[in-house]
Amino acid sequence: MDSSSHMASLPEDIITDEHLQQQTQPASASAFASVPQRPPTKSSSEKYAPLDWSVYFDKEDDVAIPESNDVFHVYTAGTEGPVVFCLHGGGYSGLSFAVSASKIKEKARVVAMDLRGHGKSLTEDDLDLSVETMCNDVLAVIKELYSDSPPAIILVGHSCIILLTIIGKKLLHHQSMGGSIAVHVAARRSLSALAGLVVVDVVEGTAMASLIHMQKILSSRMQHFSSIEKAIEWSVRGGSLRNIDSARVSIPATLKYDHSKKCYLYRTELEKTEQYWKGWYEGLSDKFLSCPVPKLLLLAGTDRLDRSLTIGQMQGKFQMVVVRHTGHAIQEDVPDEFATLIVNFISRNRIGPHGIEIPGLRKPAFSKP
Amino acid sequence: MGANSLPSAESNFDLDEQISQLMQCKPLSEHQVRVLCEKAKEILMEESNVQPVKSPVTICGDIHGQFHDLAELFRIGGKCPDTNYLFMGDYVDRGYYSVETVTLLVSLKVRYPQRITILRGNHESRQITQVYGFYDECLRKYGNASVWKIFTDLFDFFPLTALVESEIFCLHGGLSPSIETLDNIRNFDRVQEVPHEGPMCDLLWSDPDDRCGWGISPRGAGYTFGQDISEQFNHSNKLKLIARAHQLVMDGFNWAHEQKVVTIFSAPNYCYRCGNMASILEVDDSKGHTFIQFDPAPRRGEPDVTRRTPDYFL
Repeated sequence: MDSSSHMASLPEDIITDEHLQQQTQPASASAFASVPQRPPTKSSSEKYAPLDWSVYFDKEDDVAIPESNDVFHVYTAGTEGPVVFCLHGGGYSGLSFAVSASKIKEKARVVAMDLRGHGKSLTEDDLDLSVETMCNDVLAVIKELYSDSPPAIILVGHSCIILLTIIGKKLLHHQSMGGSIAVHVAARRSLSALAGLVVVDVVEGTAMASLIHMQKILSSRMQHFSSIEKAIEWSVRGGSLRNIDSARVSIPATLKYDHSKKCYLYRTELEKTEQYWKGWYEGLSDKFLSCPVPKLLLLAGTDRLDRSLTIGQMQGKFQMVVVRHTGHAIQEDVPDEFATLIVNFISRNRIGPHGIEIPGLRKPAFSKP
Repeated sequence: MGANSLPSAESNFDLDEQISQLMQCKPLSEHQVRVLCEKAKEILMEESNVQPVKSPVTICGDIHGQFHDLAELFRIGGKCPDTNYLFMGDYVDRGYYSVETVTLLVSLKVRYPQRITILRGNHESRQITQVYGFYDECLRKYGNASVWKIFTDLFDFFPLTALVESEIFCLHGGLSPSIETLDNIRNFDRVQEVPHEGPMCDLLWSDPDDRCGWGISPRGAGYTFGQDISEQFNHSNKLKLIARAHQLVMDGFNWAHEQKVVTIFSAPNYCYRCGNMASILEVDDSKGHTFIQFDPAPRRGEPDVTRRTPDYFL
């Protein structure tokens, strides 16, 4: 509801810089002198002022990977429950999950990582966005955070489903190895790792068909911003984000300052990573379907499913929710609804801090006698 | 008697004309839909939550708005009322012709109430149809949501399950941990929106599973049930078979639980992309079972539903 009220408050007309400048000029004697002054609108810089991450997350950390110079930035929230490990889409950052994290943390822990080349993470090769490299990055971060005893993890991925499913399978492999160790230690609680997959708004078939348009889409974006406020304003007015609060916290992390040009540019040079895009999507539907944990697919529209996912959904292989009144970044545009969907998914599948809480009991506790 | 027969004759004549129009995939007017659904409601409200059906009967699964494939089904299975039919729900959403599909089936129900049985599927719901296409299609074809409202109000009156010759239990989804006997089903009030959980939800959402016992459904509603569950249910209720729909199966039908549970799916090439066969199940009056498989009807050019230029999705 907050989202809709904010959207409703947006002025309908687009005010250009020039127009704004004209408005601020003192009234001069002219034929229009009698026209009453328009009441001043809320200042653009105030409405679109950046918000600090600490409004939504509890903590931020740098995770240095041993035997490398790579450092990954993570934001965390919450102290109890399974870990909702959030992987943002291309060109976003961990703060894409900021507003929804403040809701999810009431029921679960949240970790949102800045992927290579994004946000505050710094690596030796910020342009290597290959699936293999990013997969190793995420696993390395999880290992540094939890060593050999990870809690139950629900992987949430915005767009990067294939990354999600490969990481998920490696976590499962780790789990099975842990499981074999547990066999020899009767009293030891079995290791849990992957407990669920949540994918946000992309499907292989439509993605592969549309990749040829992506460079054009990237180049048609506004490229230079005189201030962070302008960038935030553009993201909302331009329609890529629909929630001002979320844009105020997430957009700053996607920018960097260019001292020579004296303006802000995109932190991630996505146009230089085209060689990896196909690898992000090819084969993802089958990989997603073959991952043997509870799965939730969130989509912004119904006509996006390809053949594999249509069959899988209609065979009851995963849960699908179509979220209305949202764009591509569902977790930003409707953070409350997104958080509710995550929390309900955890609850329905009985995912506790160490995995499925009653693994041996398949009959639901509340079934009638 | 002659005077009394006149309104009925007129009514049937109008209905035959409407059915003929619908068979050409031409929708009725809003007024005609309103009158039709009022009559349908009067018929359906008299039916049981466990509606008895006699053989011979042809049992059908999901249709999902694929009108031309429904026409193909009638061509293969035989015209109603020459052939008796039992449809297990999911008439709308996904396909391009939900309006024509559900209007035709409701018209046939009103015209030949004893020869066709139409059950409720999980898509016969206000919430689901607003997302998966029926609502938008009604807006497109009628200019407003009145027809959508008329139909979704009518859906509440659809029976939830059927019982063929006291032996074959038919329903859209599957079993519920809250339901042990058919009387449990007979006794609750079905005239409501499909709830998010509970026995009525389970009947429309559950799926059979290879694993024993009850499981959390991956779909997010209903349960999965194993062979031990279906055996117990069949035994308790003296049933020989549970026939259900709800799941796409590539051959159009799929046996489970040692031929005590069968899935029937009647939308070939589902969503115009899945490449699956469809099937219907003929139960003759000696209770013999015959599956008839069929392919999609020849396409005659899909309607021009414009695809948007893709937005950013990285």
